[in-house]
Amino acid sequence: MLRSLTLLALLLAPALAAAVETAPVTSPRATVTVVSGVEAVAPGQPFRIALRQRLAPGWHTYWTNPGDAGQPPEVSFTLPEGAAASPLAFPTPDRIPYGPLVNFGYENEVLFPVTVTPPATLRPGDTFTVEASGAWLVCEKICIPEEGVFRLDLPVADVARPAAATVEMMRAAEAALPRPSPFQVSLGFDGARGAIAVAGDAFVPGAVREAFFFPADWGVLDHAAPQAMAVRGGVLTLALARGHAAVPASVEGLVAITDAAGVRSAYLVAAAPGAVPSMPAVPVAPALPLWQAILFAVLGGLILNLMPCVFPILAMKAMAIARLSGAEKGEVRGHAAAYTAGVVLSFLALGGGLVALKGAGLAVGWGFQFTSPVFVAALAWLMLAVGLNLSGVYAVGGPIGIGHGAASQGGKAGAFFTGTLAVLVATPCTAPFMAAAIGAAFAMPAAATLAVFAALGVGMALPYTLLGIAPGLARHLPRPGAWMQRLRQGLAFPMYAAGVWLVWVLAQQGGADAVLFVLGGAVLLGFGLWALGQAQGVAGRGRRIGQGLAAAAVIAAIALLPRVDVPRPATTVASVSSLPDAEPWSPERVAALRAEGRPVFVNMTAAWCITCKVNERVALGTDAVQRAFAARNVAVLVGDWTRGDAAISALLQQHQRDGVPLYLYYPAGGGAPALLPQILTEGIVLEAIGASTSPVAGATRGSST
Amino acid sequence: MRLLTRRATLAACLALAAAPRAGFAASGSGPAIGAAAPDFALPDQDGTLRRLSEFRGKTVVLEWTNHDCPFVRKHYNSGNMQALQTLAKERGIVWLSMASSPEGEQGFVTGGQARELTESRKANPTAVLLDPRSVASRAYNATVTPHMFVIDGQGMLRYMGAIDSVRSSRVEDVARAEPWLRDAMIAVAEGRTPAQAVTQPYGCVVKYYGA
Repeated sequence: MLRSLTLLALLLAPALAAAVETAPVTSPRATVTVVSGVEAVAPGQPFRIALRQRLAPGWHTYWTNPGDAGQPPEVSFTLPEGAAASPLAFPTPDRIPYGPLVNFGYENEVLFPVTVTPPATLRPGDTFTVEASGAWLVCEKICIPEEGVFRLDLPVADVARPAAATVEMMRAAEAALPRPSPFQVSLGFDGARGAIAVAGDAFVPGAVREAFFFPADWGVLDHAAPQAMAVRGGVLTLALARGHAAVPASVEGLVAITDAAGVRSAYLVAAAPGAVPSMPAVPVAPALPLWQAILFAVLGGLILNLMPCVFPILAMKAMAIARLSGAEKGEVRGHAAAYTAGVVLSFLALGGGLVALKGAGLAVGWGFQFTSPVFVAALAWLMLAVGLNLSGVYAVGGPIGIGHGAASQGGKAGAFFTGTLAVLVATPCTAPFMAAAIGAAFAMPAAATLAVFAALGVGMALPYTLLGIAPGLARHLPRPGAWMQRLRQGLAFPMYAAGVWLVWVLAQQGGADAVLFVLGGAVLLGFGLWALGQAQGVAGRGRRIGQGLAAAAVIAAIALLPRVDVPRPATTVASVSSLPDAEPWSPERVAALRAEGRPVFVNMTAAWCITCKVNERVALGTDAVQRAFAARNVAVLVGDWTRGDAAISALLQQHQRDGVPLYLYYPAGGGAPALLPQILTEGIVLEAIGASTSPVAGATRGSST
Repeated sequence: MRLLTRRATLAACLALAAAPRAGFAASGSGPAIGAAAPDFALPDQDGTLRRLSEFRGKTVVLEWTNHDCPFVRKHYNSGNMQALQTLAKERGIVWLSMASSPEGEQGFVTGGQARELTESRKANPTAVLLDPRSVASRAYNATVTPHMFVIDGQGMLRYMGAIDSVRSSRVEDVARAEPWLRDAMIAVAEGRTPAQAVTQPYGCVVKYYGA
């Protein structure tokens, strides 16, 4: 009897396998179905289905908090006696702007998963029928309420069978859901303003491209307000603007983070409002008009002259002024113009660079150049070179030539390059104070952005420009004399200090090896400049030898520069991965392990990849997954892409990925590897390695009870 | 020490610089409960320019509307909106329907069309105001139709949000909903504070001029 039933089920299976998606409810705006992740259900075993909406271009549906307008879809289920269905799970929404409004919702295609728990009393051979009745609002400029009914007839078997037709779709749907947050979250409001801070060690500048806090409750926040982001010292901070509704005792929502590689994932957060987390930067004002942005930029540029980290440059400018004492009016004008040109053109170059990078699709933070170890090392050496010049080790007629013929063209070039250097060093200082102007500039067309940058330069050069316009002021400057020598030599020390600070920055980026190379290069550079200084004192052959030595030493130092950017040697995978028993990845190791007949799990990660770290924490590193790996003797191989790697890049390309994370599962006994989504849950991993017959057993802990 | 003084000066400069921006941002986020409701001057269905301030001394209800929006139709087809308008008239409350769609957009009406709609639906507003340039919509940060506002005799905003508690477009839901707007306008007319000042409005997105 049982056998004949099984036989019947087997015979029916092909016919039923096609019915893992219901008949669609179709309108010109949306095609809506209910899909099942399994083609056969098992008694008492929860499984996942989903409401699937495919939307016409321009149309959207809504998240639980729809934002300024709209409402989320609703579905009610009619299930056989003893069965239960969870509420709809809502994937991470997008911001959908319309005029001054912003809605939170979905475009193109979206799946809302639901966990259905059939009763344990089902018998193989029965049919388990899921009936659903749904209502959803679909909007473009106009909104149309739609509704429909759905029916799924699923056969009952001893063990649930994942549906091949929907496995990819359901996996993607699981990956689109927000996950529990592994981060510490705090949040607070003060009047109309507030902030949310998310703490996690992966939050370093450059690791986050974009982030947004979607509040679960309507009206707690001004939905349309942009949320200025700052990422510093292991904390991601978003500026929040209050809405009209009262603040609940616990503010809940989800933080959606797009990492440097462009992978977006969201985390469920909840926090009782407390003190406002400090925002490292002034929140970006929405739509600051251009003239205001330029005004703030001029003001900000002016303030830069007072900033502590421009101090060494301030020292240089003090020298420049001292040098102008007693000079002709025309000279003073010339110097002021040259300095102004140097500052303004440098800001324009930086602005142009940012515009180009922005065009290339890179969301870069201000001060981006400080993330390049090569840049930091070169700047440290520049500080050393300037310091040595001030100390009198050598002299230059060109850049930063101090006390050298103020009347010469070299002097004007010197003023120009002083301006250039001032800008280069001042950029990190602009971040906290100029965020508003620069933020506004970034929302503007390229020409406006450049105007704002030029205004920054004008502001910074303003005191010296004034000196040019009213050279009479220069008369009030002190007369040149022996004090200039002392001042000059004394000013070398802020330069050395700036160099030390830069080496410290480099130590954070590149570790001990980078410090070794930068200091080694500094010795070479010091030697070269000393040789140059000696050569300047003599004539003829000695001079040429000195110059030759100087050139050789400087070239040797520059040759060291790329070494600064060499990745920290990853002697163990522990430096990028927290997974126990993981080995470093290599194609050979994969081949060897497969030859032994072992299944292999490949995890391509990077130290700066937040998504990778969260995946290890919430999915790969959990007890259930680790137990399943152990039970199946799965070898875990970790590849470190922190500083790029040709072999890993090739593997990424092979799987049409631009970056990490990349997860591959090579089953035992050969065959093509399974490509896992970039966002992992326990359920996704267990299902992929065959440790779960249902795609959700692990992912829905308790949600269906 | 000198550096510290400089920093203090700097901080002062920045605080000054930030102040006008803060004001700018606040004005962008719309009206606030207990604050003066933004005034406006808009033509009514007969072309007469009407201002909010001319109704000072009376309770005023603003109803953002779009006659073809399913959520608006729910309240007109059920007679709920007309009943509220009639109740308002009886209690001396001014009712202004705000036709907010720009020209060329779904929901745009001329004065003549507004008069026809009032007649055909047996509606009873004090006036239908035409806002095709989204002047009032922007001032009130109106998001949906119907989005409801109640303003007291002193011109202060007392209620903003939904017409009732059931967020659907089904006529049969009107009867079981809590009548939030009705409660709020009566409370304000009687000099009481509405039980809820802000609720989540529901309906179709307001169409903005130039969006």
